[in-house]
Amino acid sequence: MNKKSLSKQIYDARWCYVFVLPCLILTGMFVIYPIGMSWYFSLLDWSGFTKEAKFIGLQNYYEAVNDQFFWDAFIRSFIFMFGTVPVKIVLGFIIAVFLNNQVLKLAPFFRTVIFMPVVTAIAIIGIVMTFVFSPFNGPANKFLMSTNLTSAPIDFLGNPDTVLPTVMGVYVWKWLGITMMYWLAALQTVPQDVYDAAKIDGAEGYRLWIHIILPIVLPFAIVIILVEAVGALNVFPLIETMTAGGPFFSSEVMEIYIFRTAFVTDSGTMPRLGYACAAGVFWGVAVLFITVLQGLWMRRTRRI
Amino acid sequence: MKKKKDLKISRRTVMKGALAAGAMMSAGSIPSKLFAGEFNIPDPLKPLPTTGGNMRWIDSGDMKGVFWKKLFPEYAASRGITIEYDGLPWKEINKIVPIAIRNGTVHDVFQLPLGMDPGVAVSEGWVQPWDDYIENLDEWLANFPAGVYLPGVNQFNGKTYGLCLTANKRTGTCLLYSEKYMSEAGYDPQAGRMTYSEIRDAAKKITKRGNGQYYGWIIGGNQVNRWEDVVHTFGQVAGAHGGRGGFTNRHINFQNGKFQIASDQYMEAVELLLQLKSDGSAFPGVMSMNAPQARALMPQGAAGMIFQGPWCIGVWGRDAPEWKYGIASEPVPDGKKAQPLYIAEGGSNTLWLSANSTMGPFAGDLIRFMGTEQGQIYWAQTVGAADPAVNPEAVAKAGLTGPSAQALAMFAENLLVGPNPIVRNKDVGVVAAKSRVPDPSLALVIQGLYTGQLKGVEAQLKDCNQRYEDALDQAVEDARADGANVTRDDWVFPNWDINSNYGASKYSEL
Repeated sequence: MNKKSLSKQIYDARWCYVFVLPCLILTGMFVIYPIGMSWYFSLLDWSGFTKEAKFIGLQNYYEAVNDQFFWDAFIRSFIFMFGTVPVKIVLGFIIAVFLNNQVLKLAPFFRTVIFMPVVTAIAIIGIVMTFVFSPFNGPANKFLMSTNLTSAPIDFLGNPDTVLPTVMGVYVWKWLGITMMYWLAALQTVPQDVYDAAKIDGAEGYRLWIHIILPIVLPFAIVIILVEAVGALNVFPLIETMTAGGPFFSSEVMEIYIFRTAFVTDSGTMPRLGYACAAGVFWGVAVLFITVLQGLWMRRTRRI
Repeated sequence: MKKKKDLKISRRTVMKGALAAGAMMSAGSIPSKLFAGEFNIPDPLKPLPTTGGNMRWIDSGDMKGVFWKKLFPEYAASRGITIEYDGLPWKEINKIVPIAIRNGTVHDVFQLPLGMDPGVAVSEGWVQPWDDYIENLDEWLANFPAGVYLPGVNQFNGKTYGLCLTANKRTGTCLLYSEKYMSEAGYDPQAGRMTYSEIRDAAKKITKRGNGQYYGWIIGGNQVNRWEDVVHTFGQVAGAHGGRGGFTNRHINFQNGKFQIASDQYMEAVELLLQLKSDGSAFPGVMSMNAPQARALMPQGAAGMIFQGPWCIGVWGRDAPEWKYGIASEPVPDGKKAQPLYIAEGGSNTLWLSANSTMGPFAGDLIRFMGTEQGQIYWAQTVGAADPAVNPEAVAKAGLTGPSAQALAMFAENLLVGPNPIVRNKDVGVVAAKSRVPDPSLALVIQGLYTGQLKGVEAQLKDCNQRYEDALDQAVEDARADGANVTRDDWVFPNWDINSNYGASKYSEL
C-alpha cells in the first residue's frame, strides 16, 4: 500500500485545518504573542510607557531573585495553594458524595446553593466580603460577639495574622461549587453495576468508597487537583478587591506583586513593566513546572 | 376630573436657589441664568469646526466631577458635540492613562499619572500644546496669578502644554471632626490649633463615650498614601521644612537638599498615630478600608476625627447635609508653634491634550471659558475648597460660606510657596523620570509600623531615609549619564527664608 505524501495528507484534511485556523489565530494573538512579548520585555529596563527601553539582559531576573518581597510573595502564593486546594478537594468530594445520592430529594437545591457563589462576579464578592468581615458592625464579628466566641471584634482583613486565612476561606467558599461539580462528574462515570456488584460482594460504607469507588475516580482526582492548584495560583481579582495585598504585604501573592511593579501604585512606586515581566515569566515557569509534575503523576497513576 | 398639580421643590432646587442668591449678593456680575442651574457660556472667540464629534475627558473626579457633570451637557449642546467624562480615583488613573497612551486610546483631555514628570509626556510626544486652541493665549494666561504657568512645569519649548484651573494651595490632612463628639469630649478645635496630647486625649474621651459604638479617630489605612500624607504634613507643621509633590520634592529639606524622613518631627508624627492605636482610640478595621470608605463613616457617627482634605466638605454636604462637623488646621506637637506648609509653584489638576486628539478646538474653547473670571466663579461655587479655583479674585466673588470659606482662609494663612528644584533647573525633570521610589516606600513603612509588622520607629525611618537618599543619588547619576546637567546641589536653596514665599526673584539670586 502506497503511503500518502505529507502534502496529500494535509490536502485531504484541509477542512480540519480550516476549522482549526480561527482558533490558532486567536491563540496566537492572545496567548502566544503576549507570552513571547513578556519574555522580550523581561529583558528590558522599561517603565512600560516611554519610548526609552534599554536592553539589560537578565538583570531583571537577577534583581527579582534577590528581592525579599519577590520571594515573600512567591512563597505566599504557594501557602495559598496548599492552604486551599486540599480543603476544596476534600470538602468538594464529601459534598459530591452526598449530593450524588439519588435518594436525597433536595440534592438539586443544595447543588444550586453551593454553586451560586461560582457564578457571582468575583470583584463583587471581594468588595462585599470587606463589609462582611469588617470589625465594625460586620456580620462575621456580630455573630462571633453575639455567641461569645470573642469578646472584641477581630480585624480579619487588617490583621497580618488573619488576613491570608480569611481570604483563603473566602476563596474556598467562592469556588467550592466548581470542585463539587468536577467530583460529581467524576462520580457519575462510575457505572451503577459497579455499585451493585460491590454491594452483592458485601462492600458497603467506607469500604465501598475506599476500595471500589476511589480507585475508579482517582485519575479524575489528579486532573481536579491540577486544575485547582493552577486556579489557586491565579487569585488576583479576589485579593486585589479584598486587601490589595495588604496590610504591609501580608496578603501579597505573586500576581499582586507583579501588578504592583507593573503599574504606578498609590504608594508612589514608579512602574517597571520590564521587571514585572521578568517576575511574571519566572512565576509562569514555576507554575508550568508544577503542572508538568502533576501531568507526570497523572500518567503514572493511569498506568497503575 | 381636574388633576391637582403638585408643587414639588427638590432639595437640589432649593440649594441651587440659595447658592445663586448668595452668589448674586456677593457678585453682581453673575448672570441670572445661574438661578436656573445653567451656565452663561459665551460664544467661541473664533468659529469652531462644524463637524461635531465626541470629546473624551478623564480626571480624578470628586468635586471636579460634580462640576463637569453639570457643565458638560450644557457646553456640549451649545457646541453641537458630545462629551464623555470619566472621573476616577488616582489609583485608576495611574493604571488607565499609561495603558491608553501606549495603545493610542487615551482621552482627548487627561491628567497625567501621579509622579510622572510632565517633561516625559512632552518629549515622548503624548501631548500637544494648547497654543493653537486658545485664542489670545498670552492675554488669557495673564489672568492667572504669577507662578501658575512655568517653564519646566507646564510650559515646554516656549509652548503651553498643561493648563491649570485650580490652585494647589490646600492640604489633604486637615482635622475634620464631629462637632458633637468633640464638644462632648470638652474640646473646641476652633479655639486654636490642637496639640498632639489634646488629640490623643480627645480621641480617648470620644472612644470612652462611644462605648464600642463609635471611636475617637479613623483613617483609610488600606490606602497607603494616607499614612505618608499625614506624617509628611504633620512633620512640616512641626518644623520639618521641605517640599511637596513627587519623589524629587517630597520630604526634602531644601535648606540642605537632604531627605528628612528620619527627622524628630516625622518620628513624632508617626508616634502620634501609633499612640492613637495603642490608646484604643482608632476605629477598628482601619486597615481594611480606603480613604473614601473612612470618610463615609464619619457622618454615620462612627468616629470623632479624621485627617483628610477639603474634598470631604462637598461630599458630606451632598450626602449628609444635616451632619454637623468642623474643619481645623493640622495639630502640632506639644509646646511647639505651628510652622508654615509649603507648596510648589504651579497650579493643580493640570489638564493635558492628547497628541492624537482632534477635539483640541473644543477643549481649548471650554478651558478658555473656565479660565475667565466668570468660569472660575462657577467653579468655586460648586467645587469650593475641595479644589480651589486658581483665580483668587473669582474665589472671593464666589461668596463661599461655612467650612469651604473657612478651609480656604486656613490654607491662605498656613501655606507658602516653597522652592521647586525643577523651576531652578529643568533637568531635574530628567531625574524625576529616572526615579524609582524605594520599596518599601515611606507610606508602607508607616503602615507596617502601625500594624506591628515593623518594629522600632527610629530605626525604620532611618533605614527608609537612607533608601530615599540612595534612590535620588542613583536617579541623579542615571540622569547625568543621559546628559542631564544636574547635581544634588540643585536641591539646596541657601537663600530660602522659611517664612516667606519663594518667588522668581529668589531663583534669580541663586
